Amino acid sequence: MTTPLLKLSGLGIRFGGLVALDAVDLTVAPSTITCIIGPNGAGKSTLFNLITGIYRPTSGTVALQGDPITGLPAHRIAARGIARTFQSSRLFEDLSILDNVIIGMHGRTRTDVLTALLRPAKSRRELEACAAEAETILRGISDELFARRYQPAGILPQADRRRLEIARALASHPKLILLDEPSSGMDDRDTAALMADIRRVMADNPGLSFLIIEHDMRLVAELPDNVVVIDYGKKIAEGDFATVRQLPRVQQAYLGQKAVEHA
Amino acid sequence: MESLILQHLLNWLVLGSIYALVALGFSLLFGLLNVIHFSHGDVSMIAPFVALGSLQAIFGITGGAMGVLPILAALAIAILVTGLIGIGADKLVISRFRRSPAMMALVATVALGTVIRELIRGFYPQGSNPKAFPAIAQGFLEIGPLRLPAQPVLIVGTTVLVVALMYGLMQKTPIGTRIRAVAEDAATARLMGITPSRIFAFTFFLASAAGALGALFFASHAGVVRFDFGVQLGLIGFSAAVIGGLGSMTGAILGALAIAGIESIVQANIADGASYRLVFAFLLVILMLCLRPSGLLGKPVFEKV
Amino acid sequence: MSTTLTNIHSRTTLPASLIVAATEIGGAILLGAFLLAESTPLVVALLAVMGALFAAMQYRPQIEEVIVAAFHDARGLATALAVAIVLIYPFFLGGNTYALHLLIVSLLYSVLALALNFQLGSANIPNFATGATYGIGAYTSALLAIHLGWSFWATLPAAAIVATVFGFLLGIPSMRTRDSYLALVTIAFGIVIHQMLNNLSWTGGPNGLVGIPAPSLLGHSFMRPIELFGFRLPSQANFYYLSAALLGLAILSAKRLHESRVGLAWNAIRADELAAKCQGINVVWYKILAFGVDAFLAAFAGTIYAFYISYISPDNFTFLVSVTIMTMVIVGGMDNTLGVILGAFLLTMLPEKLRVFSDYRLLFVSVVVILFLILRPKGLFPQRQRHYGGQR
Repeated sequence: MTTPLLKLSGLGIRFGGLVALDAVDLTVAPSTITCIIGPNGAGKSTLFNLITGIYRPTSGTVALQGDPITGLPAHRIAARGIARTFQSSRLFEDLSILDNVIIGMHGRTRTDVLTALLRPAKSRRELEACAAEAETILRGISDELFARRYQPAGILPQADRRRLEIARALASHPKLILLDEPSSGMDDRDTAALMADIRRVMADNPGLSFLIIEHDMRLVAELPDNVVVIDYGKKIAEGDFATVRQLPRVQQAYLGQKAVEHA
Repeated sequence: MESLILQHLLNWLVLGSIYALVALGFSLLFGLLNVIHFSHGDVSMIAPFVALGSLQAIFGITGGAMGVLPILAALAIAILVTGLIGIGADKLVISRFRRSPAMMALVATVALGTVIRELIRGFYPQGSNPKAFPAIAQGFLEIGPLRLPAQPVLIVGTTVLVVALMYGLMQKTPIGTRIRAVAEDAATARLMGITPSRIFAFTFFLASAAGALGALFFASHAGVVRFDFGVQLGLIGFSAAVIGGLGSMTGAILGALAIAGIESIVQANIADGASYRLVFAFLLVILMLCLRPSGLLGKPVFEKV
Repeated sequence: MSTTLTNIHSRTTLPASLIVAATEIGGAILLGAFLLAESTPLVVALLAVMGALFAAMQYRPQIEEVIVAAFHDARGLATALAVAIVLIYPFFLGGNTYALHLLIVSLLYSVLALALNFQLGSANIPNFATGATYGIGAYTSALLAIHLGWSFWATLPAAAIVATVFGFLLGIPSMRTRDSYLALVTIAFGIVIHQMLNNLSWTGGPNGLVGIPAPSLLGHSFMRPIELFGFRLPSQANFYYLSAALLGLAILSAKRLHESRVGLAWNAIRADELAAKCQGINVVWYKILAFGVDAFLAAFAGTIYAFYISYISPDNFTFLVSVTIMTMVIVGGMDNTLGVILGAFLLTMLPEKLRVFSDYRLLFVSVVVILFLILRPKGLFPQRQRHYGGQR
């Protein structure tokens, strides 16, 4: 069997006495989409924060392609190939749309202070190449974003903010992209476009996988290869959506008591 | 020997009291506004000048021995006026930076501090010269076998009383609850019928009045006051509040006692220590912040992602 | 190919080269008039002219856009003309030593403000200790020159290295502290340095260090006037050219860092530290780096100051000096090189030129600063977006 792209074993974190996430095991294979669902406050975003090194796990391990990355600082994990978006999108508001994407390439560019000061031509060439690539990425995501690339990111409407975050994540050439509720604030058309975008990006980048926290059931039904359900900080189910949705404990936890009675 | 230790102890408590009164203002205002009111020390230092001015204007006293009544009246006037100036500083300058980045409010209040100092220097009679400041209490108190100088005891005692009143006010009264509500979430507080602008005014009055008392004690303890004393007093008060953890009243008091403590120890034990006391006090500040980045009692900030 | 562009341009508006020349020469004349103005009404009138210019830009932002576009189109001319103006400027001032002195101090403060701008403007890291690193640079070079007989040119890099080490040290607490707490660490550091300079015997205590020897270059002592083509420039001109060269270096460094991966990383940290981390940016390192770069440049300015005045004391490097530098950056415009320099010039010259108000000038300047922060919160010249591939 091939090494999984991402492997979480017994991952957990406590804040003071509160167990926010408890012994979660999860495996993500290359070239797959995994959706994480669960009620609000179940610990989904906390899971993302543990994987990306924002929080340090109090137990368990994270491995990327077999290498342990548990407890590494966030910037090292990002450089290893895990990119993410945020639930309340966190763009560099006062910088241009283009600069936002270029900053996504930080981990794979090399100019340091001395190079910038003493070899300006080299530094400029690097940045110009980044700018050219960023323009290509933006054009691929949305013509409108490309047209507005010199405007500050802060003025974008919600759906465009999500798109720009995805473009920024792509810019790092990641192996795994974590999307935290990408469809929130999107209407049906936007969501359909988002799914098409994700599929196209996967086709363009062999081996790339997505881990997506999502509430929109159409997306969860259509997109992922694998669905993971989290409730009260524990993984309570895993499998394809058709199977998972039938499980009583999932319906109880996620869809609510009412849905169980109707089923 | 014993009396020497007692003297150092009293000195520590007096300095601690003065710093605590100033630090409390920083902490209260930071808790409410999330900005550092850097001119707080300068606003506070207006009080001794108002006191001197009213002694002269109302009672015609320019120095020498004086009765209890004029002193009390002058102190009361000084505290009241300084409190009102605090509100004025907010309305005129600080309130305009509620939505600006923290750094702008900081620079604006530093400039405001300069304005206040320069106003005193330029418009108070002979404002650039140091002014003798009367002791607020003279003589000694006999408590059992102890014979204590009256002024330090009065300073420490008053401070304990004022601090207790402030705790009571914040924890037990409706206005205290409202202040804490606005500090927590101004928008929600507004929805609940609280007028934030009034809360801001009240808090500025309270903080400035407490600072005024600290500055008055400082002036009578030192026996002298000058237009630019507010800079150092403000820096130390601010440091005390930060060491203690901004927003925490207890922390501000602990921070004040810590800084006063290190100053007293250095002064008592190191030859030529007086000139190095600020070095040690601020080295303590750096050390403390490296060890406990959000202060002694400050809540560690968990950023919500 | 650029001819067609210029032709299209010139048919609609003025040609870029004319705009550039007019702006630079106009600016130089305005500055010169301000420097040489003796009477109060004239100073006030010149301030009114500047105020009117900014009011015009406030209401018609296109003016600024047109000028920026022109400077981009005629970069070569802009640089050449600027260098030429800087070179002939002392002749223009006609040997007025006081004007030259003001100019030197303004240039040095511009360097300090640009140094701080790497932190405050680019990365939004508060640093109230630029005055202290400036002082460390000045004292290091002065001590080396007085006690070990080092020449100015040898002390320059030595002072920069010592100050940079202190800068890195100061940056270490930024690993764990932020915002107001970090601001206090830098304030405390500045006070500790100031108090040490004030108390240690080998720094001369409150009296400072005297008798710092004048530098010389190729046998020409900086104490002596410059004599060229029958013109005679006062000895201050030596230091004017030195400071101008340093500012040129600072501007070049600022431009190169801004237009590089490093500048982008600082900007990312300014906008959102956590998101920056998740883009692979080593936030801790970039913060410490900003402290180092700030200290490095500040030390250069300190060294030139020490050798220029030939006397330094702790009072040159107080907390209030650091605050003044900070105010220059914010009033001028964070992360905008031109704005920062303008802020430094204005805040250096204004108190000097308002000497007629003698006792009230500091009051006046502080009130102006507060009004500025309220009325034009983004500074004289706000930051601008980067552009790539020859685009503007």
